[in-house]
Amino acid sequence: MPKDKSEVLQGTLDLMVLKTLDAMGPLHGYGISRRLEQLSEALLQLNEGTVYASLLRLTQKGWIASAWGASENNRKAKFYSITRAGRRQLARETESWERIAGVIGRVLRLESQR
Amino acid sequence: MLRTWWSRLAGSVGRDATDDEFDEEARGHLELLTERFVARGLTAEEARYAAQRQFGRLTRLKEDLRARRALPGLDAIARDVRHSVRQLRRTPWFTVAAALTLALGIGASTAVFAVLDTVVLRPLPYPGSDRLMAFRSIDRRGTPHPTSLSYPTFFDFRSGTRVFDRLVCYRGSRFTLTESKPAVQVGGAIVSWDFFPTLGVQPALGRGFVKEEEKAGVHVAVLADSLWRTRFAADRLIVGKSVRINGNQFTVVGVAPRGFQFPIDAPDVQLWTPISQDASVSEYEPLTEQRGARVLDAIGRLKPGVTPEQAQAQMNQLAADLAKRYPDDNKAVPTTLVQPELERLAGTSKAPLLTLLGAVGLVLFIACANVANLLLARATDRAREFALRTALGASRRTLLWQLLIESLVLGMLGAAGGVAIAWGALQALLPLVGDSIPRIAQTSIDGRVLAFCALVAIATSVFFSLAPAVQAGATPPSDALKQEGRNVARGHSRLRGTLVIGQVTLGLVLLVGAELLIASFVYLVRRDPGFKPDHLLTFDIGASDTTTSADQIAFSDRLRERMSALPGVRSAAFGFPLPLQGDEMSVSFDIEERRAAPPDRPHCDIAIVTPGFFKTMGIPVLRGRDFADHDTTEAPRVLVVNEAFAKKYFPGEDVIGKRVESGATNGNEENVLREIVGVVGDAKQLAVSADPDPIYYFPYKQMTWGIGTIVLRTDVPPLQVESAARAGLAELDPLVPMYGIKTGDERAAVAVAIPRFLMTLMASFAVIALVLTAVGLYGVLSYTVARRRREIGVRIALGAGRRAVVGLVMREAMALVVAGLALGAVLASLTARLLERVLFGVRPGDPLVLVAGCVVLVIAGLTAAYLPAARAASVDPMQALRTE
Repeated sequence: MPKDKSEVLQGTLDLMVLKTLDAMGPLHGYGISRRLEQLSEALLQLNEGTVYASLLRLTQKGWIASAWGASENNRKAKFYSITRAGRRQLARETESWERIAGVIGRVLRLESQR
Repeated sequence: MLRTWWSRLAGSVGRDATDDEFDEEARGHLELLTERFVARGLTAEEARYAAQRQFGRLTRLKEDLRARRALPGLDAIARDVRHSVRQLRRTPWFTVAAALTLALGIGASTAVFAVLDTVVLRPLPYPGSDRLMAFRSIDRRGTPHPTSLSYPTFFDFRSGTRVFDRLVCYRGSRFTLTESKPAVQVGGAIVSWDFFPTLGVQPALGRGFVKEEEKAGVHVAVLADSLWRTRFAADRLIVGKSVRINGNQFTVVGVAPRGFQFPIDAPDVQLWTPISQDASVSEYEPLTEQRGARVLDAIGRLKPGVTPEQAQAQMNQLAADLAKRYPDDNKAVPTTLVQPELERLAGTSKAPLLTLLGAVGLVLFIACANVANLLLARATDRAREFALRTALGASRRTLLWQLLIESLVLGMLGAAGGVAIAWGALQALLPLVGDSIPRIAQTSIDGRVLAFCALVAIATSVFFSLAPAVQAGATPPSDALKQEGRNVARGHSRLRGTLVIGQVTLGLVLLVGAELLIASFVYLVRRDPGFKPDHLLTFDIGASDTTTSADQIAFSDRLRERMSALPGVRSAAFGFPLPLQGDEMSVSFDIEERRAAPPDRPHCDIAIVTPGFFKTMGIPVLRGRDFADHDTTEAPRVLVVNEAFAKKYFPGEDVIGKRVESGATNGNEENVLREIVGVVGDAKQLAVSADPDPIYYFPYKQMTWGIGTIVLRTDVPPLQVESAARAGLAELDPLVPMYGIKTGDERAAVAVAIPRFLMTLMASFAVIALVLTAVGLYGVLSYTVARRRREIGVRIALGAGRRAVVGLVMREAMALVVAGLALGAVLASLTARLLERVLFGVRPGDPLVLVAGCVVLVIAGLTAAYLPAARAASVDPMQALRTE
């Protein structure tokens, strides 16, 4: 089995998906992709299918749940929503992300001051 | 984390559904994307293409998701299992042969483990049963041995102990229930009041006993669930009701919970009464006051934190004090034994069962060797397949993994067959032992046994897959491809030869063990039991309401007369205990010419019999006379002894006319000197012992301890007179039940139940081992003959005769067998000693046994070699040379 190469990227994607579901409420995979595209201003050049891998990971961890429903054009679609455990996880992740971002920012500033 | 795994495990099982789900999800996504591109002005074709590019490669993603959904590796394992099943189905004969061989090995081990688990390993069915200790005295006379307690001694221990929370005594008894016709006889136990609390058990209905109920004159009882259901129709209002038992009105105070059993080694106990039964004053001194009457077993619950050793140390102190205070009765028992109750019950069965488990392990090994052999043969055929796969890039690990999975699949097939075989074997074997081993009748195939079976299957699978795995790894693929696997085959046959040698070695060990047990069993059965068990009907009768000894004698006289007159009955008598019933009663005696202090007196078995008993049983009167009807309390006291008694206590003397004073007393009579008036042949009291035991007999009118077992010597097959005997008894007293009807032959068979059980199992193992070994040898030889076809063809072409060719194969066979026998002889002489404790009349080191085992294996080897040899001799040289 190939080892996951980009675990950092995966973690980031998971966090973004989680945040999206937290902010927007239940969404299907297509909707999440659109939202990510919009947010990252097409910076994050990813295959949209990758979102489904992220969704599976999050489901397996119990952070999101899914249910079948009807999409905008009245097609059957699977809607994902964040669970309470997911919100807790999101809060934890956000906090640690901010802390790390702060640390890295300070380190980088230090470098440039020299 | 756990959640992820759980969901993955679920994903591994229901894969197809989620796959379809994702398909639908992805299709929806792609359509929406396409629509979006169309809206931006792309053509339908372009839009679909763009959508697909933006989504990424669907197949790759699906695979990724599938891998994420399933447990890592599980998917691959499932694939390998499917592949293995296909492989195995392609070679059905191989699969059936291998699975059957394994099933035999696994089945035999599972059956033995099931018995061992039930009898030895499983805790007793009481809460906190590891704190329950059997408590007994140690009789220091002769070989020190555990012995029972008397009531006064037990009371002293009970009040003096600081190490037991509770200490209870119990003794088996029989009760006659006569509250309605017909009267029934049930097994029961007389127990001290707190047996329920000691065992940690709550009655299902009512209550247990209270301390006050130990006093004389109290008649209360607790019923077993089974008795309550069968006899009292599960009456929920039974508590407080009166029931007629042994001619007295008893109040039922409680009903034991369903499945409750106490003591464990007396599964027929269905009724408990407090020791008030033994305290009742009749014409004798009550049992509860006789310090010399050692009739009680005891069990206690240790105080928290006290070890059995500490407990024994304190109890030994008490015993030593008692020995000083009551030298006459207690000097012989100055120490005690505190051991876990489970150990008391299972201790004697443990060694033989472990021996059997060891034997069955050997069978399993032999079976494994056979399967390994089969796999090796197959591996040779598949050498090219593996070489090809290696050449195509399969790693060695992948191939070994594949081999292991194949073995595991075989192992599971074997396990399934093994469970079936174990079940069948238990059905056939358990009736052989009956109740001879405590708890063995409860043996069943439960979860623990199944777990053991699975474990054995996995372990053996790994083991027998090792051989082909080692070989598969050792051959460079280029060789295997080039030489059509001939080199591989050479390496294989060395390994296969080694396996066969190992089989012969272990086969001889098993064979020698089986021979010893068979010889021992034959010795036990064939040797003269000292009486004639054929044409003998024996049965017991319950106590009637008549309780005085005069009444009893009168009743038994009438009964004996009635029975003697039955058609087909030659003579009738009573006796207790009967030969082969075990050493039930051991009583000390003082020889008139060599007086000794009470604790230093010799002691041996006694029995109480009526006139005509020896004639009826077929025990010869050698000197002097049999008892007669005039040997009553009015006449001089007399005894009859057996020859072993005469030889042991009066060597070189005429024993007739000697007088001894027995510790057994008749009612309130003083001890009196009794004259020996006759010597009879040695009838075995214990079937499973090496030596004839001394015994002395009392005439029943001078020792009225109750009615013994009735024995009828018949002219017709004994069971034919049963109904007439029953009718005769009912005529005399319809309230007296008849029970325990057995023929003499049945008694003889029950007495050797355990040796028979051991022998049957061991012999079966040896036969299985022999067949498997022969098959293994056959397999190896057939293979060599096939491989050497060309060489043999050349030899025949060069003028080698049939005899020479046959000799070639036979020599190879014998080389393997002899090597195995040499090793086996060493191993067998080492392991045979393990059997020493269960052998009678044979020595484990007997060279004849070893030689016989070798001969059997050589014959088996020659038989196995015959077919391949004949095949070799009939090789057509022209054809053999042409084929390659």
